[in-house]
Amino acid sequence: MISCRNLTRRFGNFTAVDSLNLEVGEGAICAFLGPNGAGKSTTVKMLTGLLPPTSGSVEVCGLDVIHHALDVKRIIGVLPEDLGLFDDLTVEEHLLLTGSVYGIPKAETRTRVAQLLHALSLDHGRNTFASACSHGMRKKTAFAMALLPNPRVLFLDEPFEAIDPVTSKIMRDLLAAVARRGVTVFLTSHILSVVEQIASQVVMIRKGKIVWDSPPSELPQSLEQHYFDLVETPVVEELSWLGSPRS
Amino acid sequence: MARVAAVLRALAQAHRRQQSDIASIIGNNFFLVAALLLQEAGTFIYLLIGVVLLFPLSTDPLRKIPASRLSLWPLTDHDRRVLRLASPWVNPVSWLVVGAAVWAARGKVSLGLWGAFAGLFVLTFVLSDLPISPGRTIWLHVPPFPGRWNQLIRKNLREILSTLDFYCALLLSLSALAWRLFGVALPDEAFFALTILIVLALSSYSQCLFGLDGPGGMARYRLLPLRGWEILLAKDIALLAAVIPLTLPLSPLTGIAAALIALSAGHQPSVENFRPQHRWRFSTGAGVVTGLLHAAAMAMAGSAVYFKGAWILIPCVGAWLGSVWYYGRVFERSPDL
Repeated sequence: MISCRNLTRRFGNFTAVDSLNLEVGEGAICAFLGPNGAGKSTTVKMLTGLLPPTSGSVEVCGLDVIHHALDVKRIIGVLPEDLGLFDDLTVEEHLLLTGSVYGIPKAETRTRVAQLLHALSLDHGRNTFASACSHGMRKKTAFAMALLPNPRVLFLDEPFEAIDPVTSKIMRDLLAAVARRGVTVFLTSHILSVVEQIASQVVMIRKGKIVWDSPPSELPQSLEQHYFDLVETPVVEELSWLGSPRS
Repeated sequence: MARVAAVLRALAQAHRRQQSDIASIIGNNFFLVAALLLQEAGTFIYLLIGVVLLFPLSTDPLRKIPASRLSLWPLTDHDRRVLRLASPWVNPVSWLVVGAAVWAARGKVSLGLWGAFAGLFVLTFVLSDLPISPGRTIWLHVPPFPGRWNQLIRKNLREILSTLDFYCALLLSLSALAWRLFGVALPDEAFFALTILIVLALSSYSQCLFGLDGPGGMARYRLLPLRGWEILLAKDIALLAAVIPLTLPLSPLTGIAAALIALSAGHQPSVENFRPQHRWRFSTGAGVVTGLLHAAAMAMAGSAVYFKGAWILIPCVGAWLGSVWYYGRVFERSPDL
């Protein structure tokens, strides 16, 4: 469903994504992991047509993302890094906009909007302008927008960050449910415990290059330890001005 | 006192930065035409701009600090009282009100004019400080439009309502309405001239159609399965939806013709020269030459419709549709916009 070949993006002399090759199958939940600045969001932008690659190619459902941009947009749902919300629309209006733009009949849109608002606990804030929403509400709105047109592929950039535990569980269950129906999910996240629960494919990226790509069952150790070993080792700095520890 | 002084310094800096946005007026078509073409005859326009500008300039500077942050800072009650009394003076308009009071006392400014100026300033200051929700809920009542672009058009109309350009046009329109209601005999040319002024007040927005969408909005445009022309059309319909009711007391067909030409000429800078805009400020056009050419083209189209007939609207619509189609394609092909 998602296929990248030698995908590269440079910004001046800096190579953000370097010859990335990736295959994600139908109904898979692919977790794309890496530290800040590793190239995760740049990759998602290229996969969704938001950013043209410097070289290489991307296909989603067999369609070239650059040459069939409009056709690809019709079959994907995206939660972008900056959430992509308009300050002058309310939570509910964002969802209604999505329904009408994707050609979903009005009555069906109303039903889906009501269900999503309820499922994501957005009922109370449906008439709140995006500019006045908390970060969590904004993220849930963008997630609902991605899901509403029932896409064939979902791209989610850090969907679980800033989300309360209950909604996070609901979102995980929704993603598992859509994946069982054949929808491919491609997500980035820093919350490894969540990734461990839902991912069927784990890809790790470091300095723009893929350093691991396998099902979670093939990881030689725990996801967290493997991530620390391959991607980034945590180093704790001693802050002397905090004073000496109490005995 | 050192803590209060530090807060006041930060406040003054934030206020100065915000007020530098006021420079946006220099690139505004309405201001340009008044300053370069009307000059002394543009006193009415200067007054109008001054009144509209006074509102955002008069808000309480202490609002710059989020209430939660202010209450968390380790300030004593005395510090807070000093801050409350001193903070209004970081706003230069406060000093201007005092200066104008001195002039009024010496008879250099009429007492009534000073009273109106000071009254507006104090009223805005007090209202901005009241613990009421930002009055945007009224914008929920922006009427729906038929078709799949409904929410986009409503959003765009709300953006227009959050620029000062709209309120200049509104004041002009209300003045025209009052003249007509009270039977003031206006010369025939005044209908044309006032209509053009109303559209001129709104025309800078047509040169920066995406300025208030922000990076998030621009990303969403890229993700929606819409053609570029559809996105531009939703923008243009919103501007026309503002122009038509505002020119109703005068000559709406002249207004539509001028607005169509403004939009046709405005697509190029909007799409190829993206410039972020600020809410509650005047829109900044694409430059002096562009602004003046823009104004001349609008006046020509408007005068042709007003003096020759409504059929002139046909080439105006043609030019506009051509521009929507062409710059819609340019929009689609400029992914880094």
